[in-house]
Amino acid sequence: MSTVTAPAGPTVHPAGDNLLEITDLVKHFPIKSGSLLGRTVGQVRAVDGVTLSVRRGRTLGLVGESGCGKSTLARVVTALQPATSGSIKLNGTELTTLRSGQMRGLRRQVQMVFQDPYGSLNPRRRVGSILGEPYAIHDGPKGKDRQQAVQQLLERVGLSSDHYNRFPTEFSGGQRQRLGIARALALRPELVVCDEPVSALDVSIQAQVLNLLEDLQDEFGLTYLFIAHDLSVVRHVSDEVAVMYLGKIVERGPVESLYSRPRHPYTNALLSAVPDPSAAAQRGTSTRIVLTGDVPSPAAPPSGCRFHTRCPKAQDLCSQEEPLLRPTPEDPEHVFACHYPVAAGEPLSIGTWSESAQAAVPRRAPSPARTSITKNREGSA
Amino acid sequence: MSATDLVDISDPGGEPAPTADAPAKIAGRTPMQLALRRLRKDKLAIISAVFIVLLILVAIFAPVITAVIGHGPNVQFPNTGLDAFGTPVGPGKHFLFGTDELGRDVLSRVIYGARVSLAIGIGATLISLIIGMVVGIFAGFYGGPVDTFLSRFMDLLLSFPFLLLAIALVARFGPSFQLVLYLLAFFGWPAIGRLVRGQVLALKEREFVEAARSLGSNNLRIMFVDILPNLLPLAVVYSTLLVPINIVAEATLSFLGLGVQLPTASWGGMISESQNGSLYQVAWWLLVFPSIALFLVTLAFNLLGDGLRDALDPRSGRSQLGK
Ligand SMILES: Nc1ncnc2c1ncn2[C@@H]1O[C@H](COP(=O)(O)OP(=O)(O)OP(=O)(O)O)[C@@H](O)[C@H]1O
Ligand SMILES: [Mg+2]
Repeated sequence: MSTVTAPAGPTVHPAGDNLLEITDLVKHFPIKSGSLLGRTVGQVRAVDGVTLSVRRGRTLGLVGESGCGKSTLARVVTALQPATSGSIKLNGTELTTLRSGQMRGLRRQVQMVFQDPYGSLNPRRRVGSILGEPYAIHDGPKGKDRQQAVQQLLERVGLSSDHYNRFPTEFSGGQRQRLGIARALALRPELVVCDEPVSALDVSIQAQVLNLLEDLQDEFGLTYLFIAHDLSVVRHVSDEVAVMYLGKIVERGPVESLYSRPRHPYTNALLSAVPDPSAAAQRGTSTRIVLTGDVPSPAAPPSGCRFHTRCPKAQDLCSQEEPLLRPTPEDPEHVFACHYPVAAGEPLSIGTWSESAQAAVPRRAPSPARTSITKNREGSA
Repeated sequence: MSATDLVDISDPGGEPAPTADAPAKIAGRTPMQLALRRLRKDKLAIISAVFIVLLILVAIFAPVITAVIGHGPNVQFPNTGLDAFGTPVGPGKHFLFGTDELGRDVLSRVIYGARVSLAIGIGATLISLIIGMVVGIFAGFYGGPVDTFLSRFMDLLLSFPFLLLAIALVARFGPSFQLVLYLLAFFGWPAIGRLVRGQVLALKEREFVEAARSLGSNNLRIMFVDILPNLLPLAVVYSTLLVPINIVAEATLSFLGLGVQLPTASWGGMISESQNGSLYQVAWWLLVFPSIALFLVTLAFNLLGDGLRDALDPRSGRSQLGK
């Protein structure tokens, strides 16, 4: 049985300590009909009312399956795409209403590390030119000074200043990601949005890049919004973790609390997939919960709780009423949105949810009727 | 030690450089080096390139070469260049390529003809390239109505009856070197524009464009600093293939009397002259030498273009079949 670690007194930070505050952020993509006139026939609700905040100098991990809107959120936060509605405040400054002239200043404060270390570096430009670009755009050092600055950047991310004249194609994936990190750091931003920065890398190299990111955070007082699609990667770098499903945050809380006592069945399922024996032991089970079925389309999200079509605990209420984020009794910082949360210490390993049993369910049939959950699980804890 | 000026870091701090993907040795080569290595294996392309370079040198130094030969292109040699009946003399030790009906040295005229062919062929291609790249980049990058408008315009030009317009313009302005140059440039760019547009449509979705934007690049900078270098291989290949098309078109116009005017030597004009009164039936060299020149230069540019295409994009085309 898991020993429930009581959260060590929620450290309530004053609101002013949040570098980034996202409130009710919505990003919809219109679906145009095929015709030339392009009537809007629907909306892809990629991000649908997200509220998050990131404390200065800390890391917020954002986790969710592919297509749940993580990258879209990242793009809106970095002003690569305009928000449909909602508010993004950086240092108290509202970003969604910035005019293009003011945007330049924002670029210096918010930078992004991209997922694809191959696609995110221009294959036809040399390293010196790629890393010198931020200085070229923002009237930074010129000529020899710029070269020196770039070479220092290279060394700081664990590359060599000799790499100045190379092309990105001459580097391995891990090295390229270091280049991407160096580029993001050139302007000394306050917030760095890392969109799955290690997903494309070998596991052996992932740890090195994560360590580098942590070192840089300490050294430059960076604040990270760190996106990943599984919980194991973010665990080690994050102070807080938010779990996203179909454009919404379903659970959010300090790492300790969220990993030891997940409340949302979706978080639970993601956690069970973490190949980390200690984490599994903490939860009192080593059974993998395999989520079956595909993520429903964000163009037509399920009614009520968006997870109900795949949820083992779903009941009638779940499809009718959308659960709102509410705090756990133990820790007001740990919030979740579920009508029938996983009870504290509730064992996960009930036969129906073992991997073998789930494997029998066809991949592409997320039928609500499938959820034959033993009713008394709620009370068991 | 937060918010230190990153520019001023000299010491990377305690932690040494990581190991497994450390930058110790990198075996890779730049895309250009790789392409050049592949090109070097393509014998035909190399021979073609050498031929083209030589021809360009010949064209540039035409006055020197003809001075050495001793026969200017427009100088008539009524005594040595024509026989007793006033007909041209064939190839011999005096006139390597023979003479024409006016007693002019065919070799000198072929050499001077190369100037016209190359100047118009390469010149028109360069102009087309610049216009085509700029329009293609704008159309592909902005998309939407800008793209629709520019693409329709390019389609329109591509379906325009080229010869008809050429005849009309020549009738209005009189034939000239410049007219041919601009005419060919004007009809050459839409094909490049469409090609570039297609590439840009794909390139602008690449993550490095997003990265540039997140750094604060504006559209112009993204188009011409980030996207343009990625178009160069395509541009190089396509221009190499457009040059012979323009050379043949120039020859055609000159042949029809719409191009470069006599007595300026041009290959098309020489071929046309050889047809006068079926002169080529008695003096085959009048037809054969300019034709061979035209054929060789066209072939060389095409072979080089193919070789470049294969070298820059090994997945496409000939080289796979060949090996
Ligand atoms: N420009 C766009 N136009 C239309 N739909 C989009 C656009 N960008 C993203 N989407 C849609 O929004 C949804 C969320 O996409 P997003 O890229 O944010 O997911 P993600 O969580 O980052 O997934 P992944 O883990 O695969 O990167 C997807 O359904 C996607 O198809
Ligand atoms: Mg993504």
